[in-house]
Amino acid sequence: MFQTVALWVLIAYALWLAATVPFSSPANILTALAIAVVVVLVIVRWPARPTRALIAEEERPPHPYLGWVVLVVLIVAWELVMYLVRGSRSAHPTLSSMADAFDRYNYGLKALACIAWLWLGTAIVRAGTPTASRATSQGVAPS
Amino acid sequence: MSSTPSYAVWALLGALALALWVVSLTPAGRRLIVRPAAVLRRLATDPWLRVPLLLGWGWLGWHLFAR
Repeated sequence: MFQTVALWVLIAYALWLAATVPFSSPANILTALAIAVVVVLVIVRWPARPTRALIAEEERPPHPYLGWVVLVVLIVAWELVMYLVRGSRSAHPTLSSMADAFDRYNYGLKALACIAWLWLGTAIVRAGTPTASRATSQGVAPS
Repeated sequence: MSSTPSYAVWALLGALALALWVVSLTPAGRRLIVRPAAVLRRLATDPWLRVPLLLGWGWLGWHLFAR
């Protein structure tokens, strides 16, 4: 019940945030408020000295994070190439310029981006919150 | 200059991210790569990495929606 209500609040907040215009006070206030809520939740729910979540030895791939690290490196490298190369931004789009384009002209996509960002914030809070059941059910062993 | 090659590389990187995510959900893929949730859990429970994770999330929202 609580999760359903929280989900609807998150969606409503995202729709409200998506309706604001960047560089305006409502956009600044709504974005800052969401960040403040996540920071407060992190302070309240995360332990001061966390136990690293490790993958159980029998389920652990040889290089569990390598694919993701390579992907992030490729994205950052291409972002830098696009940012530094000479020429117009339309010919060399960065992630920001592409995001600006749909922010400006497509409310639906901006609303989806807001929902994704807020959902990621809640996922980050949950990921750092210690729960005994999660450690056993998902093959996570404390270090 | 045409923007097609630039967008093509972005599309390729997007497809690669999607492919990694799909592979990580399959039983065979889990022997190669972990799910995004496991990456997030690893970052959020590291005493040092959790700080840039949180700052990065905040910066992303500010950059996209406020500035």
